[in-house]
Amino acid sequence: MRAACLLLGLWAAGAAPAPESRPDPVLAALEAELERSRGIRLAELEPPYFIQYTLEDVSGYSVTATLGALIREDRPRFRVAGVEVRVGSYEFDNTNYALADLFGRAPAALGVPIEDDEPALRAYFWLATDAAYKGALESMARKRAAVKHLGVFKATPDFWKAEPVTLLEPVSDRGPEATGWPERVRELSSLFRDYPQIDFSQVDYGANRTVSYLVNSEGARIRYVDWVHWLQLRAEAQAPDGMPVRDVRTLVWPQSEDAPAPAEFREATLEVARMADALRRAPQAENYVGPVLVEGIAAPQLLAQLLGRNLAVVRRPVGEPGRTPPVEPSEFEGRLGTRVLPEWMDVVDDPTQTEWRGRRLLGFYRVDMEGVAPKPLVLIERGILRAFLLTRQPVEGQTGSNGRARLPGPFGARSAAISNLFVSASTTLSPAALRERLLEMVRARSKPYGLIIRKLDFPASGGLRELRRLALGASGRASGGRLVSRPLLVWRLRPDGSEELVRGLEFRNLSARLLRDIVAASDESHLFEYLANTAPLSLAGAGGYVAGTSVIAPSLLFEELELERSEEQFPRPPVVPAPPLAARR
Amino acid sequence: MRGAILLLVEARVAALLLASLVAPRLSAGGSEPLLLKILAEELERNFSILSQKADPAPYFISCAITDTQYELISASRGVLQARSGRRTRLLDVSVRVGSPELDNYHPVDGQTPLVTSARPLPIEDEPDAIRRVIWLEIDRAWRAAAERLIQIRTRKQVLVAPEQLPADFSREEPVRWAEEAPPLDFPAESWAARLRRLSREFAAFPELVSSQVSVVAQREMKYLATSEGTRLAHGRRLTRLEIAARAKADDGMDLANSETFEALDASAVADDDRIRRAILRLGEELTRMRQAPVIEPYVGPAILSGPAAGVFFHEIFGHRIEGHRQRLTTEGQTFAKSIGTKVLPEFLSVVFDPTQRRAADTDLMGFYLFDDEGVRARRLTVVENGIMKAFLMSRSPVPGFANSNGHGRRQPGREVVARQSNLIVESARQVPEAELRRLLIEEIRRQGRPYGYYFERATGGYTLTERRTIQAWKVIPLVVWRVYADGRPDELVRGADMVGTPLASFAKIVATGDRPGVFNGYCGAESGSVPVSAVSPALLVSELEIQKQPASEERPPILPAPWQPGAR
Repeated sequence: MRAACLLLGLWAAGAAPAPESRPDPVLAALEAELERSRGIRLAELEPPYFIQYTLEDVSGYSVTATLGALIREDRPRFRVAGVEVRVGSYEFDNTNYALADLFGRAPAALGVPIEDDEPALRAYFWLATDAAYKGALESMARKRAAVKHLGVFKATPDFWKAEPVTLLEPVSDRGPEATGWPERVRELSSLFRDYPQIDFSQVDYGANRTVSYLVNSEGARIRYVDWVHWLQLRAEAQAPDGMPVRDVRTLVWPQSEDAPAPAEFREATLEVARMADALRRAPQAENYVGPVLVEGIAAPQLLAQLLGRNLAVVRRPVGEPGRTPPVEPSEFEGRLGTRVLPEWMDVVDDPTQTEWRGRRLLGFYRVDMEGVAPKPLVLIERGILRAFLLTRQPVEGQTGSNGRARLPGPFGARSAAISNLFVSASTTLSPAALRERLLEMVRARSKPYGLIIRKLDFPASGGLRELRRLALGASGRASGGRLVSRPLLVWRLRPDGSEELVRGLEFRNLSARLLRDIVAASDESHLFEYLANTAPLSLAGAGGYVAGTSVIAPSLLFEELELERSEEQFPRPPVVPAPPLAARR
Repeated sequence: MRGAILLLVEARVAALLLASLVAPRLSAGGSEPLLLKILAEELERNFSILSQKADPAPYFISCAITDTQYELISASRGVLQARSGRRTRLLDVSVRVGSPELDNYHPVDGQTPLVTSARPLPIEDEPDAIRRVIWLEIDRAWRAAAERLIQIRTRKQVLVAPEQLPADFSREEPVRWAEEAPPLDFPAESWAARLRRLSREFAAFPELVSSQVSVVAQREMKYLATSEGTRLAHGRRLTRLEIAARAKADDGMDLANSETFEALDASAVADDDRIRRAILRLGEELTRMRQAPVIEPYVGPAILSGPAAGVFFHEIFGHRIEGHRQRLTTEGQTFAKSIGTKVLPEFLSVVFDPTQRRAADTDLMGFYLFDDEGVRARRLTVVENGIMKAFLMSRSPVPGFANSNGHGRRQPGREVVARQSNLIVESARQVPEAELRRLLIEEIRRQGRPYGYYFERATGGYTLTERRTIQAWKVIPLVVWRVYADGRPDELVRGADMVGTPLASFAKIVATGDRPGVFNGYCGAESGSVPVSAVSPALLVSELEIQKQPASEERPPILPAPWQPGAR
């Protein structure tokens, strides 16, 4: 308790309730109904040992434009309520069971009130608790039966206790507003008028405010406010051979006052237009095996994937006899204490950091989705794996949550995810020296060129269809490659130092194992921020929960990476030329 | 000054249609709406270049835009549960290559292609931005069309032709018609206040587990341009208010009750008094239903109220006369060869009339002036005195029916097929409702049964028309009464579904009531969800089968409702 409170600073109140400026009907409803639900019990069956209520109040504004015209404008406003009921005990309960998610859902016809009315909110939680409790009993009965049939059952506990946190942030009445954004996206999207060869372009702006409430039977009492803003710039074109090319950039910032300057938006838009146009004209790449420099934001983009997904251990649920639930294990599983990076590299995840070089960080948070307050965590020290990101879902060999439950997870649990991930190197080269080092490697191996990757398509911007194709390609490879983003911007670096943009490359057999073979890192660090979600490659626009994430890392030189030409079938270039564009107004 | 009808092709008919519009907004200056102009110009540019340079060249292209604005509000017990609204413009492109006799839409193994994707278009009339998207979609649709035509031609050579197949596309006169978009005219704040107020009425029924009052108001403008010269801009509004509640019987059965009120004009939706009365009735019915006996499977006489009879006809008859089902070899083709033969009792006629706006003091949701292929809507008699006369036709011909009759419909993002509009059952054997009830009791006695059933309200139904499944239908009633032959008062029952097979069901219709009832709803099928209506007098049937509804075994809530005395 004390540790959590210290971290919470101003808002922490320990055992005493936090001072409230005015009564909060949402919190009052949650607490009243939670109190009443403690007494729920069906006949002779077991009562709940843990109940948790959450409610997310979301208000947003978003607007999209193409070539100076709005495509849509939205003001979403909704609430998502969650009821978690556990029966049994911390040692053995109804979760971590393959079919756990099938039971206990709130009836579909039940709506969550969007107004702060205590009786109406209580009415929702009354019925949702009833469904969750009955579902928990059902799941528990089936899980017990399934365990009986298992030859070997490893008795890892099902739920870790956590210190209850009290955190009550003030909520202002104002949610996201349009404030000049329709005009701004019209203007930014008009910049593409100067690029008639770009077939389709789009500018999306959005802002979301989420007020999250959490109360549980252990005494947690939480209300906190999250803001996120984003601007996505997108340009699609077709090369003369028909290959579709695109460039996409998403700027993300937490509070409205953190917004980049208008000139920065403009420059970012023009850069996307220029790159998409350049890609259209660039030569098609060839298969490549050799040294690769992952430069600028491409480095944190790559690490977000390779480290991000492997730093959380995935627990296998109890399955039905003869059926193995689909679980993709972490590549780092069982490798605590072993080397996963060069010995001159360190990785720390620190959600308590509010800013970096004067910039407010997106990955900052005070409590996670389970109401646990996080602390800085050394994950990799001198290349050695020291810790995992943990939630309240117990995993073998660990002792408790470290407050990293950031996204919904399967089988009645949450998923752990990175927050502010600081990747640092103690031995570094200047960017120029790093590039020179790549050139040396190219010359030494008598290669016609090396590759510099400057941007990955992460979060994935190609939609579901492209994601499916990539997933199919990754799983089809004999060496068991995993799904990884396509590089968007790749240059050839010739021995004479000249660079040439190429298009149409994909990674082959890229896994966390290759991180051990990083040759060198730059003395400059790059910040990449994005909204993680539960979709593969954090597919942009997938919806659902998002977790603001910041990754800070130096550029990285790899001894050897494999890239191959995209196997995609190209559509024919259009028979009809594009309609003309009037000059920008 | 040309007013609403801008480019009149068939002046007489168009003028007639105009009369059925309540308040057409005249376009100022008599010019084509800008969006239609942009759409038509880009279509023509693409069609002309593709005709010269593409192989295979298209013989037909259509571009349709559905411009929808909606507002949704929902409240429960005085508190809002949802509030949203949005404006979208969606583009659906259709490209045909080959010839009307054999083109890329030709069914293969009962499958027709899905190419269109309801791609979002700018909601502002910015020509360059809109043209780009249209160009990209035509390009995509043309490539898909060309690819499929090659497949079809290859397959054609290896397949036996089972029967002489009709052409793939009918020739129709292009139409020109433009009206201005009506404003949505939905004062959201006062509606929110109204819904809060009305939804509170349900609080009088503590045994309900949940209840809602919700409203969706929408304004829909449809634009269509085709390479044949059709230039169409037409629209309408529709507001739908729904009251709904749920309860649970002590044995776990979930009970639902609902009623909807529609009006093309938001201000014409039922007044507070009428809705309040409906809420009180719904609440009372549900409360009584909790204690009502569960039905046992039964075959015997029954009365279907007008709206319930409407659903019955929509399912068992309407879906089986949709044109494409007469053609696809995967379909049951119940009536494919029934033209000119008796399919219903001779006192019954069935008409589809999308141009009818109102029936029984209710606006009809299946109302429209042009279908989604730009074919003018018209009144169509499909059954006259029991004799089958016609199918519902889109531009996809079937043997004996080479042309559309204005029933090609779809939801954006789907391909058009023949769909229902306003189904209207007309009867030459009408008796007053009291007499119908007397006839029911007589029939119960004649069959030596203790009771029959009265189906007062239904929420919808479904039917199976494919060969690989059974030819069956189901209507899901909300409120069902047991009618005793011995003079006991009617008894509310629960847990009944009406089921049957189509041909057997028709023969059992004995007589009808004398007052039409309306069922308004959304119908889902291959081409998505479309608004439809069914209008019918009450029906007396000598034999109807009812089966038990699927029941939940989940018990009623363990804790009392928070609003119940002693809950806290």
